[in-house]
Amino acid sequence: MFLALHEMKKEKLRYGLVIGVILLVAYLIFILSALAQGLASQNTNAFNSWKSQSVILNKDANGNLAQSMMTRNQVETASESNKGEIVGLAQGILKAGNARQSATFVGLTEKSNLRQNVQLSSGHWNNNDNEVVLSDKLKDQGFHINQKVKMGLSNEEYTIVGFAKKAVYNMAPVVYGSIDDWSNIKGVTGDFVGSGLISSTKQSTTDGSLQVLNKKELFNKMPGYSAQTQTFLFMIAFLIIISIVIVAIFLYILTMQKLENLAVLRAQGIPSSYLIWNTLAQTVLILIIAVLLAVVLAAGTALIIPTAVPMSFDPRLIATTAGLLIVTGIIGAVIPMRIIAKIDPVSVIGG
Amino acid sequence: MQKLELKNVSKVFGAGTNRVQALDHVNFEAKAGELTLILGPSGSGKSTLLTILGGLQQPTEGQVLINGKRFDNQKGKTADAFRLDHIGFVLQSYSLVSYLTVKEQFQLVDKVKKTGNLDIQRFQEDLKRLGIEKLLNKYPGELSGGQSQRVAIARALYANPDFILADEPTAALDSARVQEVAELFKNIAQKENKAVVVVTHDLRLRAEADRIYQLVDGQISLEKSN
Ligand SMILES: Nc1ncnc2c1ncn2[C@@H]1O[C@H](COP(=O)(O)OP(=O)(O)OP(=O)(O)O)[C@@H](O)[C@H]1O
Ligand SMILES: [Mg+2]
Repeated sequence: MFLALHEMKKEKLRYGLVIGVILLVAYLIFILSALAQGLASQNTNAFNSWKSQSVILNKDANGNLAQSMMTRNQVETASESNKGEIVGLAQGILKAGNARQSATFVGLTEKSNLRQNVQLSSGHWNNNDNEVVLSDKLKDQGFHINQKVKMGLSNEEYTIVGFAKKAVYNMAPVVYGSIDDWSNIKGVTGDFVGSGLISSTKQSTTDGSLQVLNKKELFNKMPGYSAQTQTFLFMIAFLIIISIVIVAIFLYILTMQKLENLAVLRAQGIPSSYLIWNTLAQTVLILIIAVLLAVVLAAGTALIIPTAVPMSFDPRLIATTAGLLIVTGIIGAVIPMRIIAKIDPVSVIGG
Repeated sequence: MQKLELKNVSKVFGAGTNRVQALDHVNFEAKAGELTLILGPSGSGKSTLLTILGGLQQPTEGQVLINGKRFDNQKGKTADAFRLDHIGFVLQSYSLVSYLTVKEQFQLVDKVKKTGNLDIQRFQEDLKRLGIEKLLNKYPGELSGGQSQRVAIARALYANPDFILADEPTAALDSARVQEVAELFKNIAQKENKAVVVVTHDLRLRAEADRIYQLVDGQISLEKSN
């Protein structure tokens, strides 16, 4: 570390610039991961807030719970071997005066277990028919408690009695209500009683007209979900590869610039292992400083970013990406370490 | 008794029309207690000889012996360790690490060679004699040519090696300083019983030398010995 530290102290500008560039790349990676995570949560966070693991739905719905409908018969047979809870999803327009908003209605039973896991930010749960609890995202758009709204194909008026946190499903804010209102809002008649059975444990069925999906499968079947996540995943993967290349190029240039110094040290009999160790230590130090500063910058960004931009800074995700960046950066140090190992003092110092 | 020897050493660079015979069957010895000079015009092979002596490059032919043991076939870690422990180089150019202050150049020696380095008290005298005791916090870039040469000499002495190999150590020094450096080398050779080999075309060093070689076109001849 002796050489590494003194060199960085002397060449502040040079190493400052290197740290600056790596910092920006790391920052970009953090912001992209946060955006990816934020966007994904716009699909998943209602389902996640229910703390559910699996869903049984109609096979014809092709995995899209909002498009699934189950008959009383199907629900009854499925319920014989499972403890899932019936929910009814309906995509539709929420109307209040002139205001229009696309939303997903989620009808729950009165004794719903899912409810216990959802946190309300204000108001209370719907205890009667014709009462609804809205995603608190809609609060910003002027919806308020005791307001009368219409939803989907139903002509009835519903009263807003509360607002729920983390209530977004497949990009649309959730409107919680009673399962009894579902058929009206969805516009179906008679025999259909809901969209699917949701459970916090595994479920199974022998009914050929039904399908069981776990949480991950359900998300991947959501329209647009896997396209979004894969796009981000690729961007992040490429950025990480680019960051390895950047680190490798910088370290190569830095090493070439100090070749004379390294040759002098080799001539003095300082072992190449000592020089290699110092280069490695220096690389790790540069990476840690750059990544830490990027984390601070990303955290600062999280504080000032407008709430309309879906960004979610998950500390675990940031820690993982930060770790990955440091590890991959060390791979970038391999080339300079090889150069140092092969250095020939005479060729540099000459006569 | 510490002794450095070259036996029939030749060094050839390149081949065909680019072939340069830098050293031509050179026999040479330097003993502890003596200041040995190698004189010769530019391009005569002085630096080549010195770097072969110190194990920085291998001869094409012949042997390098240290205290009677072959050194030219040692490589890698063994050669490094030997150089670190026993040989002090003062190179013709680039002798110092640009991003370390003078003091840190010495500290670096402590980092890699934990024992056997000079006592700092005793070292102060050498620094004073070299006139660099006030330069400890400067970077090489802030030193004059002569000052860096003296710092390079001090650095080589600090590790307290048995052999000191110096390439043109007085090139940038004025007469008074040359005299002092010559005396310092002589002193180190005699009082501390080290073998000091100095490559130079500075004839002012002749007076202090115990043994003088002339090198012309890679061929060596002994001019003076005690
Ligand atoms: N690495 C090398 N490759 C090819 N030729 C070399 C190499 N090193 C030295 N030579 C040649 O060997 C000869 C002796 O070079 P050397 O550097 O030993 O001379 P020198 O006596 O130290 O000269 P100076 O007094 O100018 O420093 C020169 O002709 C030089 O061109
Ligand atoms: Mg030379």
